[in-house]
Amino acid sequence: MKTEDLITRLAAEAPATAPISGGRVVMAGLLAGLPALALLLGLLGVRPDFMAAMAVPVTTLKMVLPAAIALLAGGAALRLMRPEGRVGLAGPALAGLALVALALVVWRLVALSAPQIPVALMGRTAPQCLFLLLGLATGPFLAVFWGLRAGASTRPALTGGLAGLAAGGAAATLYALHCPEDDPLFFVFWYGGAILLSGLAGMVAGARGLRW
Amino acid sequence: MSVTDETLAGLLRAANAGDGRAYARFLTAVTPALRSVVRARGRGLGAEAQEDVVQEVLLAIHLKRHTWQSDSPVKPWLYAVARYKVVDAFRRLGSGRVHLPIEDFAEALEGAPAPEPLAAHDAARLLGQIDARSAEIVRAVHLEGEETAQVGARLAMTEGAVRVALHRAMKRLAALGRGNEG
Repeated sequence: MKTEDLITRLAAEAPATAPISGGRVVMAGLLAGLPALALLLGLLGVRPDFMAAMAVPVTTLKMVLPAAIALLAGGAALRLMRPEGRVGLAGPALAGLALVALALVVWRLVALSAPQIPVALMGRTAPQCLFLLLGLATGPFLAVFWGLRAGASTRPALTGGLAGLAAGGAAATLYALHCPEDDPLFFVFWYGGAILLSGLAGMVAGARGLRW
Repeated sequence: MSVTDETLAGLLRAANAGDGRAYARFLTAVTPALRSVVRARGRGLGAEAQEDVVQEVLLAIHLKRHTWQSDSPVKPWLYAVARYKVVDAFRRLGSGRVHLPIEDFAEALEGAPAPEPLAAHDAARLLGQIDARSAEIVRAVHLEGEETAQVGARLAMTEGAVRVALHRAMKRLAALGRGNEG
């Protein structure tokens, strides 16, 4: 087909379009997270000593770190919906959060005696934590991923990975409402592991599903 | 004599609101720039394969036109879409690793024709009013998307001389175009 003819044809079948909206993608993710969140809070409930636990500054990081990851990674993923979008400062900021998490681990490894370390690391709820966290992240991730497909990311794997990190971070933040484990060694390892797994899954999905 | 971003933004805004004519003008305005980038980068491909890549980019622009934010500049959006699709196409066509700096698109689009004096319907008439050699250069570069170096080689002129002649011819055409309106 001649290019002029292609242009004529495209112009002839070009109805008005609605611009993509990051807000709608976020809304879809939040709505998709509601059922799992309701199950978590309904069946397991908020930990009874939540307020007392959050009075300890280090313990608040259990919510602050994943929430910051969710905001930074989610914001970057939304920016990357546009072809000219950039990750921007979210990249170094996420790296900074990773360093904070690493510092927490080093601190605990130094402070604890050798026999205490495995106990702190495994806590009493390790497998449950990983499983529930990934379960909480799945719905929002799928909804957000579906929304991102309407965009045009020129870096599909990165965009999917950021969406995965964001879903994992949001899930960890909410799971912390219930989770009784407060040792940074526990939450950096298990929350961080779940968030990274979620990000990795998002990357694989993005490399395939966000191409156009 | 480049297409300003405001011109493109106006056209694409109208196009996304459902104005097919503005949309056709938008696509026509960006095609020469796309074509020159594809030709420069895909020398190993035949002319037909190159034009196929141009059409793929146009199709991508079409399918993703809703990802342009109507209050932001068009060109960065356009370069990003074009770059993604051109790299993609070349990779698929197996022309090896593609190095495609974004500046290529910027330059190509800066050098693209202004739609005002050369709106297709009166282009032929205006070109008839300037000398044959200049008309040939304008036709080759702006309407057919040929490289200035290529035109120079064909007309036995240096590339610099072609650019100068082109610039003067476009000025004359613009003056003629204005004269006709006023």
